[in-house]
Formats: sequence, C-alpha cells, structure tokens
Amino acid sequence: MAKSSTPALLQGTLDLLILHALRRGAMHGYAIAQTIHVLSTDVLRVEEGSLYPALYRLELDGAISAEWGLSENNRKAKYYSITKRGVKLIAEQQETWSRLSEAVNRVLAS
Amino acid sequence: MRRFILKLWRRRRMERDLEAELEFHREMAAARSNTIPLGNTGVLKEEAFDLWRFTVIENLWRDLAFALRGLRRSPGFVASALLSLALGIGVNTTMFSIAVEFLLSQPSVSNPATLAQARIGNSSHSSQEALEFIRRANVFADVAGERNNSSVNWNDGQETRHVFAVEASKNYFDVLGAPLAMGRGWNERDADEVAVLRFEFWVSNFGADPSIVGRLIQLDGRAFTVIGVLPEGHRTLTGYGYSPDIYLPVMKRSTDLELILRLKPDMKIGAASGALAALAERMDNQMPERGHKYAEGVLVTPMEGLARLKSNSAAMPVVLFFVTLLVLVGLVLMIACVNVAGLTLARSSARKQEIAIRLSLGASRGRLLQQLLAESLLLSMSGAALGFGFALMAAKALASIPLPLPFPIRLSIEPDWRVASYAAVLAVFSTVVSGLMPAWQTMRESLNADLRREGRMRGRKVLVAAQVALSFLVLAVGALFAQNLLRARELGPGFDLQNTIKAESFLAPNGYPDDARIKLYWRRAVAALEAIPGVEGAAAARLIPFTDSITYGGQLTFADNGEKASYRSNWNAVTPGYFAAMGIAVLQGELFSGRQADEVIVNDAFVRAYLGGRVPVGTVFQRKGAAPQRIVAVVRGTKNSTLGEGDLPQIYDSLEQVVGQYPRLQFVVKTAGPPASQVAAVRAALRQLDPAVALEVSTLFGAIGLAFLPSQIGAGLMGSIAMLGLLLAAIGLYGILAFTIARRTREIGIRLALGASRAGIGAMVLRETAALVAVGAAVGLGLSVLIAKPLAAFVIPGISATNPLSLAAVCAVMALTALLATIAPLRRAIGIQPSQCLRLD
Repeated sequence: MAKSSTPALLQGTLDLLILHALRRGAMHGYAIAQTIHVLSTDVLRVEEGSLYPALYRLELDGAISAEWGLSENNRKAKYYSITKRGVKLIAEQQETWSRLSEAVNRVLAS
Repeated sequence: MRRFILKLWRRRRMERDLEAELEFHREMAAARSNTIPLGNTGVLKEEAFDLWRFTVIENLWRDLAFALRGLRRSPGFVASALLSLALGIGVNTTMFSIAVEFLLSQPSVSNPATLAQARIGNSSHSSQEALEFIRRANVFADVAGERNNSSVNWNDGQETRHVFAVEASKNYFDVLGAPLAMGRGWNERDADEVAVLRFEFWVSNFGADPSIVGRLIQLDGRAFTVIGVLPEGHRTLTGYGYSPDIYLPVMKRSTDLELILRLKPDMKIGAASGALAALAERMDNQMPERGHKYAEGVLVTPMEGLARLKSNSAAMPVVLFFVTLLVLVGLVLMIACVNVAGLTLARSSARKQEIAIRLSLGASRGRLLQQLLAESLLLSMSGAALGFGFALMAAKALASIPLPLPFPIRLSIEPDWRVASYAAVLAVFSTVVSGLMPAWQTMRESLNADLRREGRMRGRKVLVAAQVALSFLVLAVGALFAQNLLRARELGPGFDLQNTIKAESFLAPNGYPDDARIKLYWRRAVAALEAIPGVEGAAAARLIPFTDSITYGGQLTFADNGEKASYRSNWNAVTPGYFAAMGIAVLQGELFSGRQADEVIVNDAFVRAYLGGRVPVGTVFQRKGAAPQRIVAVVRGTKNSTLGEGDLPQIYDSLEQVVGQYPRLQFVVKTAGPPASQVAAVRAALRQLDPAVALEVSTLFGAIGLAFLPSQIGAGLMGSIAMLGLLLAAIGLYGILAFTIARRTREIGIRLALGASRAGIGAMVLRETAALVAVGAAVGLGLSVLIAKPLAAFVIPGISATNPLSLAAVCAVMALTALLATIAPLRRAIGIQPSQCLRLD
C-alpha cells in the first residue's frame, strides 16, 4: 500500500505543517494540501483522508477557526485561519519537532 | 468543557459542511488533474465525525437498538437466557436483601448516626442510678436506657400469655425520636402504667382497632394505658430483626438497663468513649460499689450499620453464614451466565457471515465487540430487572416464614438503593461473564477463517468444563451442609432429650416482689411436679441449655495457695434434682446439700481447665466480687448453645443460694414414659399453683429443636440452592453438548459413510465428553478443597468438605448429569442416515 517514494508523515507532524501553512493567511483545505506539497518541494503529499480529520480536530481544539467564503473560482469554500492559540501551539510543536529531528539525526549519524 | 459546548453547538452543521468541503476539494483536484489519492471517503467521514460526536453513547444506543431487533427474531433464545439470568440474579438479590436487612438494618430512630451503645464496668447493663449520674453530667446530649429482653404476662381477658417486652427509661422516646403510627411515645410526665405496642402485635391481637390509643390492657395483673402504636416495620435498636411486642416504662427501680447515648452533634465515638471513661472514674469515687469498678471495660459502640456489626463478636458466625450463602448463590449466577454464554456462542455461529462482512468493511475490533456485548447487556439488564422483581417477592415471602426461635425475629424487607445497586452490579457482571467470551470467540473465528472450526470447538470445551467445575463446587457445598444436618441429629447434647419436659414460668413482678416469694414458688412447683404420677424427677433451673446461656469470666483465686487464674465459664443455678432429671452423670462428690451457702458444682471441663491437678471435691475458690465457694461435686459436661461447640467449663450454683432470684424460671421434668403425654399434666400442676403465671410447657426435644436450626436452615437453604445450581448446570450442559454434537453431525455422517461403526462413534463422543467432565470436575475439586477451610466454621467438628465419600457422590452426580445430557443428542446424531447428513450444513 505504501509508496516508497512518498515518505509517510510522522504522527503529529501534520498538525504542525497545517498550522505553519495557515500562518500565510486563511486558506481552504485543498490550498493547505497544495501549500504543503509545494513548500516541501513535492515531497510531502497530504491525503484528504488525513487532512480533514486533522482540520476538524484542530478546530475542536481551538487552534484554527473556520469560515465559509468564496474561492478564487467563485465557489463556496471553507476557509481556515490560525487562532492565537494556534500560534502558541506552533511554537511548542516546532520546539518538539526540532528536538525530535535532531535526535533522530544524531542516532542515524552515529 | 469548551469542547463539550462546541460539540453540542455545531455538530448538526458539521455533517453538511464536511460533505460540501470534500466535494469542493475533489473538484479542485480534478480541475488541476491532481492525482493525490482520495482515500476511503467513508472512513474519513467517520473519523472526522467521531471527533465531533458523543460517539460512545450514540454508538451504544444504536447497538442496543440493533440488539433489540436481533433478539426479537429469536424468542426461544431470549426466553431461555432471560430465565437463567432472572433466576440467577433473583436468587442473589433475594439473599443479599435478607442479609442486608438482617445484618445492617438501621434502627427506626431519628439520626441513628449520633446514637451509641455504652458499656461500663464490663457490663452491657447498668443500674438506673448509674444512668442518672451519666445523664446529669451533661456530657452527652441525652442518655436513655432499655432492657430489650424483658417479658410481661398479658391477659387478653381469657388467657394469660407471655409476650416479649422492652422496658425503657422515661426519656426513651424523646431520646430516640422514633416515629409512631398512632398516638405518641411516653415522656417524663406520663404515669408509669403506659404502653406502646408494636404494629404487628396491634394488628394480630387487637384487629387493628383504630381506637386502641387510650384503651386499658392487663399486663402482669396491672392495667396499662396504650398510648401509642409503632409504625409497620419498626426496626429496634437491637437490630437483627428482633421485634418485641410491647414497650413499657421500666417497672422496677432495680432493673439494670442498657445505656443508649445520644451524642452531641460534633462528638465522635472515640471522644464519647473517653468522656464516658472519665465519668465512670468519677462514679467510682462518688458512688462506689463493692467488687465492681465502673471504670473497667468502658466501651462505646455505634448502633447502626457495619460499625455495630463489627462491635458484636457474637454476630461473626452469622456474618460468615451469610457470606457463604452469598458466595454460593454467586456461583449459581456464574452457572447461569455460563449457560447464557453457551447459548450466545451457539447463536453467534449463525452470525459469522454478518460479522465477517462488518470486519471487511473496516469495522474495528473494539467496535464489533461493543456491538456483540450490547446484546448481552440488554439480556442482563432485562434479566436483572426481572430478577429484582422476583427478589422483592421472594425476600418478603422468606422473611415472613416464622422461625422456630425462642424470641421474636421479624425482618421487614423493603427494596432500597443498596439492593438495587447490587442488582445493577450483578447485571454488569453477568454481561461481562456471559458476553465477553462468546463475543471474543466469534470475532476470532471471523478474523481467522482457517482456525474457524477448531477455535469454536475450543470455546465450547472451555464452557463445558467451566460449567462442570462450577456445579461441582456448588454441589460439594450443598453436600457438606446436608452431611452436617445428618451428623447434628446424631450428636448428643450431653443430657437426656427423650424423656424430659421443659416448663417455663414467667412470674409477674407485683405478685413476686422479693427473693423469698420467688423461692417459695419454685419450691412448691418442684414438689407439685414430682407428685405427678409417672414423673421420675423434677427440678428448677435458671436456664436450660440451648434456650439461653450466661457466661462469666474474670479472675479465680484459689484458697489453698492464693493462686490466681483467669477463667471463662458457662453458668447456671439449679436445684439438686436437676442432674438426675436431665440425665447428667455425677462423676464425683455429693450434690447440693442445701445446708451450706458456699456449695458449687463444676463440670469435668472446668476441672481440667482451671484446677491444675487439685483434688476437685473440697477445693475452695473465689470468683472476683463473690464469696469463696467450695466444690462439692463434679458432673459431666453438656453442650450449651450449639451442638458443634467443644467442651466448655461450667459452674452450677445452687438456686437456693442465689441472691436476686429471677422471675423467669425453668423446670425440667423427667418422665417414665413418652414425655408428650405428660405435657398437659405438667401444665395443669403449674396452673393450679398460680393461674396468673404465664406458662410455656413442651417436651425438651420440641423446645430445643432450635439447636438444630442453624444447620437445618443451612442445609435446607444451601441444599435447595445447590439443587437449583445443578438444574441450571444440567440444562446448560445439555444445551452446549447437544449443540456441539449437532455441529458434528456432518463429521459423524462421513465417518459412518467410511465404515465406522455406530458403537465406535458413540464411544468416541462419550470419551471426549468424559474427558471434558473430568477436567471440569478436577478444577471443581480443587476449588472445593480451597473453600473447605472457611466453611469449617459452620459445621460440626469432624465433618470436612473434602470428605472423600461426599466428593465421590458429587462426582457421580456430575457424571450422571453429563451422561444424560450427552445421550439424547448423541443418539440422534448416530441414528441419522449418512446420505442425509452429508447434505446438511
């Protein structure tokens, strides 16, 4: 099932990526997935199967808020934007992530 | 909290939103011919929704509805499962409600938590002067006193009857705050001759006459005014269902009372104990009594619930009895659950397709387990509801059976939260026991098709073995008690039961105000009884063994060398003819001559325990607080309260010498022929002596058949519970075995077609069943050995739960049951035509 060329996202990192993407401003789900895809230079692909549950969870946690708006092609779309709480969460999660990735790198380097 | 509110607020909208959002996403992706995989949209939705819903509850609700639909389609299964569970839970709840009412009943008083019972000077009863002293000290909110084992002679206009009464202090009702159904309780301003009646006494003897308050009744030859009636189901301070009929203000100044403290609201039991001890020391200084120290043995104990039970060491065997009973009915419930598990398993094999489909659609194991358990939960809850209803009726019916006890015990069983929660706990327990195993089994089968057959068979094998083990255990306990009953009949009490009549006289205090008058009565009575033709001997006694007992303990000082010993001994006061009339052998010495005041008789156990090698006859000892006494004779010991007890030391004082004669007297009459024919003559002789004395005359055997009661009730109850368990187990075994064999019909057909003989197949199936039963029996045997020790407390020494004979009998019964359960389905299976069964399945 898993495709070897596409690294699977580590548990918890998706939240961080979504929040990070949303710092650029409010955007809809598809745009979030695209942003992550582009920013990661086509390495990371976010499936909608994991994207939407993550969005709904973040909204419930109060890290993002959602609003219906009009898309660039004049369609109704749900726009997500980051809340204050979300900004705080980024800081925390970034910290955790850098500690984790450093640790993993150190293990692999040894 | 915020999540909770958000969920409530937005969950409805959320479903539509997600739908639209996904639609948009897909459109965008399609427009840019982006190939990011869509994934399983159904699962995605479920996952997103789960966050926003009260998933567990909503699922549970759906599962229950689904289970209900499923159950409706199989009424046979539901009926048998419900019957099993309702019986199991019902029997448990019944026993529990009786045990709770008997052991933990709350007295019908206001605020029972601040009531306490007090002992001072090592005695449960204290003088009224002592009570007044404590009351005046104002340390407690108030102090009342009661004597719960008094009796009065009630003359209903035609006959004098002996009724149980509570004598209590003048402030009794004020302190207790007990509610009344009619009238009021007495207070300090009332006259002495007032009475309060128990509800049931009023109903059965006064036809529930509403004008009873104000009426006069004759008690002990005096007229008392009825001023109140207690409400139905009034619970006394004594507890244990003890329900005397009449309450009176204490009649004699010299009557000792039990002290009842009403504590001040902030006072704890420990503090009360300390305060009372300080008071008792003041009493020793200000109103000293010879040979008695108030400050010794001061104890304050609560009057309700567990604390009261803990403080009453005499209740321990009863507690143990109820615990055993509850464990036993618990086992019966286990058997019922195993039955239901077997039925469920059989049923679920028919559902394996449905479950396989659900699994392949992506249902999680936990989710499926929940769904399968919902059915068991539904069954258990309905079973518990039915069982609860059954228990209410059964407990009331059981409690209303009059017990052949010498004092009135009446339990008023009302359903309360304790009983209801017990039933609820049992329902959850049954759900887990009856549902988890089959549900788990079913899921494993569906997950792993290869293991299917073998796995299912294993589950069933476990059930059969468990069933056998449980019923083995129940039967073993039942057998133990049956054996106990048989042995109790054989064991002698140490005196003659066959040719003896027991008579009891209750003297009214106004006719017999002092020792001289009481002594005169029993002297004349003994003479009158001895004069009856066909009577070989008669005697008077303070007590008759098995109806009542008094034990003394403390310090014994020997006159010869001043040696001291601490002793504990049964006590009785008798006339010299007692030993001959009761058939108790005199081992050494001469009986009371009546000429000297210091004569005492002891039994052989007393000699062994305390005399330390002295020649018994002639030994002088002094009990603390009494005059020195000289042993004049040694007699053989008797049992005193239970047949199972060991040899206890016993002291007999001469009734002639007892200071403070008791107005309740016992007579024993030895008859030449069968005693029953002489009962009327004994009654007539005593009545002639004084018609105003209430009498109770019966054969000794009839009077103390009570001694057999604990083992009788035990054997009866446990025996019937064991039978119920066996019946349930037999039905369950039959069900599981029949199903197992039916599943093998195809295999049997193939074997037959391949040339196996019917006898050979029969032997094979029987062999396999036998192996299962053997495993179950072995486990049951192990468990019975484990519980044998705690049970030993109820049974006569020498009887053991691991008696090979009774265990062999239990094994035989189990084997027979299993055989019967196997034969019918087996015959059907091997009787079938091979061609026919190949088409099955």
